[in-house]
Amino acid sequence: MSNLFSGINARLRGTSSKTSSSKAPASPVSEDGRLHSPGVLSHQSKSSSNLSASKLPPPSPISPALPAPSQSTNSASGDDALASYRLPTPLPMWLNPAYAKHIVRGNFMTLSSRPKTVEPGEWMAHQVVEHYRNLWNFVHVVSAKESTGKNICNSSSCPRMSAGPNHSYTWLNKLGNRYERTELPAIEYIAMMQRWISSKVDDTKIFPTDPAGVSFSHNANIANTALLGSPDEWVGKRSGFPKEFGSICETIFLQMFRVYAHLYWEHFVDPFYHLNLEKQLNSCFSHFVLTATALDLIKPKEMEPMQPLIDLWAANGTFPPESKAYEYANLKAGTRLLQMAGMA
Amino acid sequence: MDNQGNRLYLNFGNNNDRLATTDRTYPTTPSTFPQPVFQGQPAGQGAAQQGQPQGYQQGYASAGYFPPNQYPAAGYSSQLGAQAASDYSSAGQGGYGQARSAAAPGTNNDPNTGLAHQFSHQNLGGGGGAAARASPYGAARATPPGQRPRTAGAQGQQAGYGSYLNAPPMPTQAPQEYFAPAPERNPDKYGPNANNNQKKCSQLASDFFKDSVKRARERNQRQSEMEQKLAETTDPRRRESIWATGGRREGSYLRFLRTKDKPENYNTIKIIGKGAFGEVKLVQKKADGKVYAMKSLIKTEMFKKDQLAHVRAERDILAESDSPWVVKLYTTFQDVNFLYMLMEFLPGGDLMTMLIKYEIFSEDITRFYIAEIVLAIEAVHKLGFIHRDIKPDNILLDRGGHVKLTDFGLSTGFHKLHDNNYYQQLLQGKSTKPRDNRNSIAIDQINLTVSNRSQINDWRRSRRLMAYSTVGTPDYIAPEIFTGHGYTFDCDWWSLGTIMFECLVGWPPFCAEDSHDTYRKIVNWRQSLYFPDDIQLGVEAENLIRSLICNSENRLGRGGAHEIKSHSFFRGVEFDSLRRIRAPFEPRLTSNIDTTYFPTDEIDQTDNATLLRAAQARNGAAGPGGGPVQQEESPEMSLPFIGYTFKRFDNNFR
Repeated sequence: MSNLFSGINARLRGTSSKTSSSKAPASPVSEDGRLHSPGVLSHQSKSSSNLSASKLPPPSPISPALPAPSQSTNSASGDDALASYRLPTPLPMWLNPAYAKHIVRGNFMTLSSRPKTVEPGEWMAHQVVEHYRNLWNFVHVVSAKESTGKNICNSSSCPRMSAGPNHSYTWLNKLGNRYERTELPAIEYIAMMQRWISSKVDDTKIFPTDPAGVSFSHNANIANTALLGSPDEWVGKRSGFPKEFGSICETIFLQMFRVYAHLYWEHFVDPFYHLNLEKQLNSCFSHFVLTATALDLIKPKEMEPMQPLIDLWAANGTFPPESKAYEYANLKAGTRLLQMAGMA
Repeated sequence: MDNQGNRLYLNFGNNNDRLATTDRTYPTTPSTFPQPVFQGQPAGQGAAQQGQPQGYQQGYASAGYFPPNQYPAAGYSSQLGAQAASDYSSAGQGGYGQARSAAAPGTNNDPNTGLAHQFSHQNLGGGGGAAARASPYGAARATPPGQRPRTAGAQGQQAGYGSYLNAPPMPTQAPQEYFAPAPERNPDKYGPNANNNQKKCSQLASDFFKDSVKRARERNQRQSEMEQKLAETTDPRRRESIWATGGRREGSYLRFLRTKDKPENYNTIKIIGKGAFGEVKLVQKKADGKVYAMKSLIKTEMFKKDQLAHVRAERDILAESDSPWVVKLYTTFQDVNFLYMLMEFLPGGDLMTMLIKYEIFSEDITRFYIAEIVLAIEAVHKLGFIHRDIKPDNILLDRGGHVKLTDFGLSTGFHKLHDNNYYQQLLQGKSTKPRDNRNSIAIDQINLTVSNRSQINDWRRSRRLMAYSTVGTPDYIAPEIFTGHGYTFDCDWWSLGTIMFECLVGWPPFCAEDSHDTYRKIVNWRQSLYFPDDIQLGVEAENLIRSLICNSENRLGRGGAHEIKSHSFFRGVEFDSLRRIRAPFEPRLTSNIDTTYFPTDEIDQTDNATLLRAAQARNGAAGPGGGPVQQEESPEMSLPFIGYTFKRFDNNFR
């Protein structure tokens, strides 16, 4: 793998100050401590994948000072929350509840939650591959060239890997021993990322395929042979996944999130709405968010560019109340969006 | 018609009602599964879940599992549930782009035509003509833009696409103030590729959810079975083993799902069938030594012969089915040149070979096979499919000598439109060489038993030869299929009657020198059905045959298989336990790769698929699996074959 692909990084544009006020978890069920305790899944390691996992300020606990009282769902506080997102006016079309709908309904958690017996690493690998395949169906729509040689997402339409006015992402090039941030046209960024992700997913040392290596999940009530909690234990170890597997999956999910964010901010109308694909996009993305949060593969902070849509989906029932995605949402902001559309 | 249909269901898709508190008990509550919002069907939703516990059906129904059908339900049988359920994606989703070309199915080699054709097969319900079927989508797309309100979320913007968007009555003015206005949808503003990709994307997304839901549901089923087992034992070692085995099975299935299968993973043992569209091989998986029958179909031939719809129909029915009466499909995959279906290997050969060998059966033996075939046909009908091509060649015998049906290439849901043109031409007597006809119904893509061994008589010779051709034998086909007056499930019972005749008499009732004469005889069955004087049939046997080989209105079985089962010919037959008794003929096998019952010595053993791949590899074309990570487009992404890939859980624990 060339140096070009060795690092990925994000940069926020002028939004460093806004993290504290906006995302008080509205759900009374959220427990801040629980969310951020270093669970098995939340690898923060600078692992052997050369991706600098985060040059961001360390993820501040999402629930800063003020977990707003959830009863008072007056629209003013919803407005405040929305204002803190510094969204453009008028709001992007994808925040209009009329266009935030789905091709499926029902509780998506049934597709995200790990079956009890399945070894967690195996489940994570499965989800990575499924979501990767899904996302690339949509990327294909914007990246495929027409006979004119042009693709919908191109260097003049999207000179940066942007997600709205407030966010854009840079590619991290490894030059010798240092990393250099490179601003790339979105389509190039996405292509590089795709190559990087495939290189991991197709590597049988990282994503083993031999059926003989499959294990099962530990269940203390049933089996007492497995040793969990030993320092030298990691997600997927029992099934032959390498130690860095968890952090690779995190990076893949983070990167996939950014692609989704770009598709929403820059391509929702052009082409997905015009091609009647916005409901498909919504369903795949909401399922992605549910999975990513349920498996702790993405930090709430990272989802900032799409926070208002997450709020909306919590408010309109896309995210079930028991889901982590719901926990991460600001229900008031979402309810306010519904009100704006006359749907609440 | 469709807009009116929509209005009936305006309130159906309210997004917010998914949050009923009872939904919180995922994942074992079926009603909480994600549900398709495309058009489903109303009548058969119970039947859609054939084989599921009753409680599941209740769950779906009460939760409104499928939105109401857009189509009028006239003539719509509840048996079709499964079919419609499995088709929501094609009907509601990929279908709409295709529907325009469905107006002229089979008229060219456009790969899309086949697919459109396929959708037209699978669309259910009223209308009858291709144009009518196309209308839900075609009409919506053809609506002059000026008639569409520009309001966000307004009705009509997606009319026909799903009643869902139209659902909640909402103020359509207010959003304008806050949200960016929605422009007129203009799918044509991009190039042809974008529209092509649109179809793929839409199809793949709906397939993803459909497949995922199906898998999750099956997984939960297995989990409750496992918990049942756990509850039944207190032995810690036994419990641990149950848990571990369950986890490993689920895990290896997940691993199987994310791994691409390829023909190189299998060793060819023998070629057991060859046909115009490919071949069937007995193969052994390198990794675990398990034995399968692998059917490989040449993609270009499928295009040329307009067979895509048939392949798809077969894949769909086999994927849906979990019946002991239907040959099991384990997985499907594809590469640049071939579609592959990995199926269970049935070592007993087929009924045609048996009939060639024994010429006639006794009445007892006939009773056994016909009774089993009745159950097999019934199983297919319960899945919502009409087989349309029941014949001895398609009736395979498993290790125990029991019957299984195969070759569902012609199977179809409840639908009128088919290749009537072809039959009409034949009836008009123009062509005596049907195999030259591109529009042929191509009955057998391949048979597991194609062979050319020494013929018993001229008829048998021509029949064997027919199996090689793209046309196959018409001997067992009901007259209404090719008179173009429409047919329904009972056409399969006609075929049963002809097979029964053949078992007892030694040849099928309408056999003739060439297929053209056969067609005429079938249409004129009143005159041509003739029981030879020198063969003495039991009264009841003859009566049953005559009750099956008759016009559709009077045919036994029209009201369900029970009519046939209760015929006096079957007196004393215990249908429920039939599959468990010893078959009159049990194959004697020396190994699990014994092909004694297949005429392999008469089949050219050249492995064309392997040779072709080797040649391509030499020519530097990207070999399967050896190509770069980023191929221009993977074979799975070629539009007509999207959704073809299928993976069954059972693969892991036979």
